[in-house]
Amino acid sequence: MTDPDPADFLVREAEHLDNNELREWLEGCVTEDISYQIPIRITRERGAATDTSDGGWLMNEDWHSLHMRIERLYTAYAWAEDPASRTRRFVTNFRLNPTETEGVVEIKSNILLFQGRYDTAGHFLAGERHDLLRLVDGAWRLAHRRVLLDHTTLDIPALSVLL
Amino acid sequence: MGSHAQTLPLDPLPDAIATLCDEVEESLESGLLPARVFNDPEVHRLELERLFARSWVYIGHESEIPAPGDYVLRYVAEDPFIFVRDEAGEVRLLFDACRHRGTQICRADKGNTSHFRCPYHGWTYANNGDLVGMPAAREVYGGLDRSQWGLIQAPKLERLHGLYFACLDESAPPLDEFLGDMKYYLDMSFGYVGDLEVVGDPHRWILGGNWKTTAENSMADDYHVTFLHRSMVQLGLLPDGGDYFKACHHISPGNGHGVSFEFSGPDARVNFGYPDDVAAAFGRNGLDPQQADLARRCHGGGANVFPNLAILFLQLSPTLGDDAPTAFTSLRLWQPHGPDKIEMWNWVLVPKGSSDEFKQQSYRAAMATFSPGGVFEQDDSIAWRSITRTAGTTFARRIGFQFNYQMGDQVGAVETVADWPGPGHVTSHAYEETLHRMLYRRWLDFMRNEDYPPSWTDPRVVVREH
Ligand code: FES
Ligand SMILES: [Fe+2]
Repeated sequence: MTDPDPADFLVREAEHLDNNELREWLEGCVTEDISYQIPIRITRERGAATDTSDGGWLMNEDWHSLHMRIERLYTAYAWAEDPASRTRRFVTNFRLNPTETEGVVEIKSNILLFQGRYDTAGHFLAGERHDLLRLVDGAWRLAHRRVLLDHTTLDIPALSVLL
Repeated sequence: MGSHAQTLPLDPLPDAIATLCDEVEESLESGLLPARVFNDPEVHRLELERLFARSWVYIGHESEIPAPGDYVLRYVAEDPFIFVRDEAGEVRLLFDACRHRGTQICRADKGNTSHFRCPYHGWTYANNGDLVGMPAAREVYGGLDRSQWGLIQAPKLERLHGLYFACLDESAPPLDEFLGDMKYYLDMSFGYVGDLEVVGDPHRWILGGNWKTTAENSMADDYHVTFLHRSMVQLGLLPDGGDYFKACHHISPGNGHGVSFEFSGPDARVNFGYPDDVAAAFGRNGLDPQQADLARRCHGGGANVFPNLAILFLQLSPTLGDDAPTAFTSLRLWQPHGPDKIEMWNWVLVPKGSSDEFKQQSYRAAMATFSPGGVFEQDDSIAWRSITRTAGTTFARRIGFQFNYQMGDQVGAVETVADWPGPGHVTSHAYEETLHRMLYRRWLDFMRNEDYPPSWTDPRVVVREH
């Protein structure tokens, strides 16, 4: 499969995640040296240098820890996702930056994720993704993702899905 | 240095809740508990007033505010306080409310400042709480005694092994007395491990559930581990079979605190699972030889400082590889957030002197397992939410639905360890619910007594007393 347009790749990748095709996602959408990060966001005074935590993460994953999280969901006892939640990722506002390296691009996007669970109203998570994509055998793969959530205290019982 | 305020006497306990407390006491005699206590607006309101505003509660760690002017915004149950190190280096806990008209003066989670300025009319306070300026002070505030109008300090604040605890009731006993024999086990763990530091910032998230459910769970609910967390058994990250609980003891030091730790035999060097090069710096720190010996052969586990500070010393792995599990330490606060919600705060701590590489590894193990995205904790949230759901139903109320806490008392077989080297009542294994029952016994003390509840130690005596 080829994704000439990096934005097309992000749409295809989101489809895997929305459809709970997590093994396919890990197999077909990420590089072996992937770094997948969601820093803790904190409220700082206006003018503070940063509002992400220095060293605090919601997720700071490599391929192996993503693999563990994903394989867990295929066991018969992953109650947080059984029954599975219904997720919809809206990926928009693409901003593409070429890099010095051939076959590597930086792409920023906005993400809005809706998660519906059981018979409750569900909830949204919003954030910005900073992705680094690399061409592997002619198709884009995710090499680095940093998700800046717009939430400090998460109003969700558990972060049981990938962003 | 800020201002002090006198707390008012408690209102008498409303009849309906006094009756509920009688029911709780009677139920506890047979190892039962009315579901209603887990989701009731009036119970919640009175818990805030009688329990959280009188009990000692955890605020934060000294490493979160190392320099003068450093502050973090914290809560005592649902009330906001600024935890700050003032210019002179003294640590203070100031009520986050302007003395003029009550406007919140601190809205950032953390920062560094010499002053806090109120956004409404501009009263300005030094970071020790003193009122130091008001706009047009000369024209409009001649005669106002500024020393009487500083930010209000929490009545009590004490430090133990770098952990700060506060109490909003000036009639409360000192922290030592509130902890009772729990202090022995805090010394044995935090004292032994020595200087720790918080990594980054706390995880915070809001989940359905009642704080009592989560406090009892992380303190001593060993029974759920291999079932609710069976996904981890299937992945090979937790041992299978019902045997692991046998090496674990439930220690009831009294006053509703509890410890569920695993220990190896006499000559073992376990050191809470920390690798030898990290553990080389552990030990001594004023512990008596028996304490140091217990610590040396301790694997850790879960503990709870009444009411809502959970402590984890665990060793787990964030991957499916063959890497040995990594030791980590977490402090976790189950903050009530209404009768059926909790705002969870989770801090990961690492030995200050360990390598950056170990610190990162330890953090990753903690984050992967016990955090909003933690593979253990995700599943816990499913059970906890639905317990309050049950407790809030009309039918449960109508039939007086009772939850079962009989394990190891009315039913089952658990023995008391007679020759335990430390204080407290100690059980022979961890599939039992003494510590759960003790938590509710102490809860009852606070809900009922208008005077400060007296300390107690022996769980047997307390259960059978009335
Ligand atoms: S309310 Fe703070 S200055 Fe008036
Ligand atoms: Fe659990």
